[in-house]
Amino acid sequence: MPDADGPWPSDQELLRRHVAGDTDAFGELFRRHRDRLWAVALRTVCDPEEAADALQDAMVSAFRRAADFRGESAVTTWLHRIVVNASLDRLRRRATRPVLSAGDEQAFEALVAQDGDPARASDTRLDVDAALRMLPAPQRAALVVVDMLGFSVADAAVILDISPGTVKSRCARARARLLPYLAHLQGNRSASESVSPAQGTDS
Amino acid sequence: MTHLDTDVLAEFRAGLITGRRGAKIAVHLAGCDHCTALDDQLAGVSALLASVPAPAMPDGVAQRLDAALAAEVARKNDPERAGPEPSPEPAASPRRPGHRGFRLMSLRVLAPVAAAVVVLAGGGYGLSLLTSRGGQMTASSAAGTEGSAASRAASEPSGANPAGGAAEPTAGAQEPGASPFKGARISPVNFPFVVSGISFSAVPATLRQQVESALRVPVTSRPGQAASLLVRACVQNLAGSHPVVLVESGRFAGRPATLVVARTGQHDTAWVAGPDCSATKRDVLATTSLPPGIS
Repeated sequence: MPDADGPWPSDQELLRRHVAGDTDAFGELFRRHRDRLWAVALRTVCDPEEAADALQDAMVSAFRRAADFRGESAVTTWLHRIVVNASLDRLRRRATRPVLSAGDEQAFEALVAQDGDPARASDTRLDVDAALRMLPAPQRAALVVVDMLGFSVADAAVILDISPGTVKSRCARARARLLPYLAHLQGNRSASESVSPAQGTDS
Repeated sequence: MTHLDTDVLAEFRAGLITGRRGAKIAVHLAGCDHCTALDDQLAGVSALLASVPAPAMPDGVAQRLDAALAAEVARKNDPERAGPEPSPEPAASPRRPGHRGFRLMSLRVLAPVAAAVVVLAGGGYGLSLLTSRGGQMTASSAAGTEGSAASRAASEPSGANPAGGAAEPTAGAQEPGASPFKGARISPVNFPFVVSGISFSAVPATLRQQVESALRVPVTSRPGQAASLLVRACVQNLAGSHPVVLVESGRFAGRPATLVVARTGQHDTAWVAGPDCSATKRDVLATTSLPPGIS
């Protein structure tokens, strides 16, 4: 995530101006990255409403703590780190309270339909989103940052505040776990049907 | 050498297995079509994830963030007038317009069964949830009624200080100890109900693999909800008196389906039930049995 060959003013320059009192600088910086930040929040918490809350928490936090940025990583890495933190924080809170309470068949079907609305996204994205929910949150966050957003393992380690080795092992476990859910999407249907279930038992 | 385990292969691909063990894996891969195919599939997982287009930020969220940012700027410029607890969501910027429909719906279907939820869950959370949802609905058009997210974030741990304590000023948003999963280990009446939207496989071996994966994940880390009366009836019909390990809502052949896993003796049994499953009808679409000791 290079600052050097990005647009001018650079991310770092915008952040510096914000700290110096420029009222527009932070907005410009945030708008520059907010689509990717939205993607990481949404895929980490798996819920648009919670993701919006997490992203707003993160944005305000970054706005207020900009002076703490030391330039040890790229500004985008720092922003992603704050968003991932806010997202995981949301998930931790959600684990301590009921997510939803539904009462009858109608609610049950509505919930599934909410996931299955074909107008909202492609089937592949829906299947990927559903599969991601199968992962424990820390594994999901690592996989989203590395495989979906394309950060290097080193940057992901900064974003997730874990060691590079832990990034690798979380991603590895996550990929192995997702395999049964995603193999059919790889355009190699017959091979996936015969290989993954038969693992170690035939051929 | 027997075939490689998916986890082992994934670790090998990630560069976590080196030295003699890594060399052995490399040699095996060179001579084993089965494991090479598995290896290709693992590579395909990353490729597939990278190919999924990023979701666009909904306009409502963008507006909300703009409003919150404007409030922050105003507060920074004039902290005296804005006060320490700014309201970043003026009435002009409706909160989450895109979700209002869903809120209305969830309230509507919740109302007739709130009493049942309270009884079944043995606590007050059904009712408190009902009232808090109602409050939130009216608050969605009025600013500041529901503690603003930005003021919440004021005491939020930030990326710069990740260990800095998760203060929780919005006590109204959650009831302590109200988790439907709390103490919900294995019981025919009180079971973990996960909402995943997963497409369950019709192939028994694949279904078994899906269930095994699902059982390895702690239920509390997955999106869940209180099970409906219909789901409870269906679970009871399928599992009988056997302890229920997991219930998960997903899809089967494009239709809503419920996965039920119960400890039915030495082997666990998993059923995928269709939407017609009830206390009197076993609408079983697929089933598989699991090796002992999985759950």
